[in-house]
Order: sequence, then C-alpha cells, then structure tokens
Amino acid sequence: MRALHLDFSSATPIWSQIEEGMRRLVASSALEPGRPVPSVRDLAKDLRINPATVAKAYQRLADAGVFTVKRGDGTYVADAPPVLARAERTKSLRQAALGYAAFASSIGAGHAEAADELAAAWRSFAARKEKP
Amino acid sequence: MTSSVPPPGGPLLEIRNLTVRYGKATACDDVSFQVAPGSVYALLGRNGAGKSSLVRCALGEQKADSGSPQLFGEDVWKHRARLLSRVGVVPEEPDAPAAMTARHLEAFCRELYPRWDSVSFNQRLERFGVPQQTPFGRLSKGQKGQVLLALALAPSPDLLVLDDPTLGLDVVARRAFWEELMGELADRGTTVFLTTHDLAAIEGIATRVGILKEGRLVLDEEVETLKSRFRKIRYGNRITETRTEFGTELDAFESVRVKVRGWGIEAVVSNWDEGAFETFRRQDGVEGAESSAMSLEDIFFAVAGEPRGAEKNGGTATP
Repeated sequence: MRALHLDFSSATPIWSQIEEGMRRLVASSALEPGRPVPSVRDLAKDLRINPATVAKAYQRLADAGVFTVKRGDGTYVADAPPVLARAERTKSLRQAALGYAAFASSIGAGHAEAADELAAAWRSFAARKEKP
Repeated sequence: MTSSVPPPGGPLLEIRNLTVRYGKATACDDVSFQVAPGSVYALLGRNGAGKSSLVRCALGEQKADSGSPQLFGEDVWKHRARLLSRVGVVPEEPDAPAAMTARHLEAFCRELYPRWDSVSFNQRLERFGVPQQTPFGRLSKGQKGQVLLALALAPSPDLLVLDDPTLGLDVVARRAFWEELMGELADRGTTVFLTTHDLAAIEGIATRVGILKEGRLVLDEEVETLKSRFRKIRYGNRITETRTEFGTELDAFESVRVKVRGWGIEAVVSNWDEGAFETFRRQDGVEGAESSAMSLEDIFFAVAGEPRGAEKNGGTATP
C-alpha cells in the first residue's frame, strides 16, 4: 500500500484522497480484482489517520461498486468494474472531466496539452496491467 | 453496569460558559464547547492558554468559578467518582507510584472498574515492549506513557481524555502511541478529548478542533470545514490610474493575518471561496495572485500565533 500518498496540507479532504488513491490503484491493477484490500484498522494505523475517515472512503468505494464488502470477512476489490447505466457513466465522466479541465485551464494548460496528459495517464494504467 | 445513560446522541463532555480565575488572572474565560460521541476533539493552544485548567475542571479535579462541566449529561463536580469510572485518562505528566510495576498497577486498577479488559492490557504492553516487572519509576518516559495509555484503555472507557500525551516522547514512541490509539478507534470507536502540541500527528486523527487563546476559545470547528475555509493568498499589489481603493481587496475573504512583503502581500484568509478568488485575481492592480491550502499547524499559527490584538490589521495594506 506504499502507493497511497496523503497530503495533509491539501484542500482535498483525506477521505476523498483515499477514495481517489484507491481508484487509481485499482485502475492500474496494483490492486487486482477479487483481491482483499487492507482492513480499515490496518490502513488507519499505517497512515495514522482516523479509522472513521478510512471507513468513509471504503463505504463510498463499496457504494460505487469498486469494492465489495463480504460480511465478517473483509473488503475486496470487486471482481469486475462496476456496471453503471450508460447515462450514469456519462454523468460521472462529465463531472470528473469538468474538474480536470477546470484545473488544467487554471494553471494555463491548453486543450491539446491537457488531452495529451490524459492519454498518457491512460497508457500508464494499461502498461502496468500488462506487466506479468 | 453504568448507573446513568447519556441521552442518545448527546455530548459526552459539555463545557458551558466555563470560567476559571486565579486571583486577578483569568485562565479560562467563558469557554463553551461539546465533545460529541464518536468524535476526536483536539483542544489546541499555546502554553498558558488555559488548556490544563480546563482539563482539570472537565475531570472534576478542580472547581470552576462558573460553569461546571457535564460528563455524560451529569455534573462532574457532583458525581465525580461515578462518572470518572467511564473515563480513561492519560495525564500530562505520567505519574504513578514509582515502586509499582505495570503488573501491580493493573492488579490495583482492575478492582476499581466494572469493565476491565486484562487481555487487551497485556497485549498492548507486549506490542509496546514494556517490561511488566520493572518498577514504574525506572521506566523511560515513553514507556510510562504507554503503561498509562494501557491502563486508561483497559476499562473500555466511553471517553478517553489525553492531556498532551506525547509531550517529551521521541519520534518512535510518539508514532507507537498514535498507532495504538488508531487501533482503539477502529476497534471500539472510543470518543476522545485531547490536548496536544503535536499538530502534525493529529492532522488526520482529530475530527474537530478548538483553539484556546489567552483563556478564550477563539475557534471551535470540524477539521474538514476548517481546512476548506482557510487559505494563504499571495499577490502583488500595484497602484493603477483607475484604482481608487486600496486595502479593501481582501474583504470578501475575511483575512486573519496580512503581511506586507517586499514582493507584495501575503495573507491568511478564513473565508475562502473559489469563485470570489477568480474575481479577486482579475482585479485592477492585483498581480500574480496565487493561493495555497494550509496544514492544521499553519492555521493554528495564523489564529493563535500572536498576542491578542496584534494578529489582525483589518485586512488593510498600505502601498
């Protein structure tokens, strides 16, 4: 779980950083489908953060279908990416895209440069997935 | 087992209009706040801000001049013994009879509490690596704190009170202490009321913070909203032909600290708004404005770092 970094001086709440970090680990297959994720307790101790914060991030990931909670057993990466209704997926993507576009624009990056970075990020996930 | 049940959802600790005076000096001046169930409330303040007096009153060790604290909905000064059986305390100075070993201390304390968990007590000391047969007086400061934390948690308390528990501990002992606390929060969701100077450590732990400054509670807020409304803003400030007003440009953000630097203005604002900042940075005469988020330590420094009265100059900055 070394790949999960928290920035306490960031304006992004910690639960949101964990949620995003976990999504990233799943997307890059650092966390593989069907494999267990660290318990709330272990992650909280590891990162020295309030377990309620970790639990909130896990709950959101479970609600979104990224994680599966097996009662009395633990939390796992879902076997397959969550199947969202087409309309819902479009809506989620659009919302995330607006955030990215606004950020890129606020630091003076143009459309082409931002699009290149998005493509590169996508390739980095794919490259890691192909590694044995 | 417990003789009273707090109203569901009610605060476990409530400080209401608490005032403590020593002669002419006022240590706590009309302080009010609540520690809600499941929260981790961190009371911050510089040395001498009134934290210790407040903690002593909260634990019924000292009578307030006015406003007696309520524990579990009852007056702590009137029902101290009964209410304190549900509270685990790690005091500022790790204090226990020097000749007693951890084992002796446990045997002694076990008799005083209805819900004592010997297994977890022993497991904790094992995890900490504290020798159980060494007299308390011969343990290191870190080990003493660990014994007291284990004793505080063994009665499965409803409320844990930590009074600057990592003061004077080295970095390894501090880390072990906070990790152990995280385990307890995960296992039992214990409500915590603590004071500390270790702001970096509690950054991800505290859910709510209060800041005491010269006896007054100047801030009492959820950490998440606190961090979303404080920002540091830096910008160049220029006179232009059309600019008529100077020093009012920060008004919308409610600045708490403004410094005039050689290159421009550096301000800490307490009412950050993304949209307002977009307008701000396009203002006539404002150049190269940028903003950065702040850590809890930065916010503490901005709010409590200077003597009262000197911290704010009204958001004005003369060119």
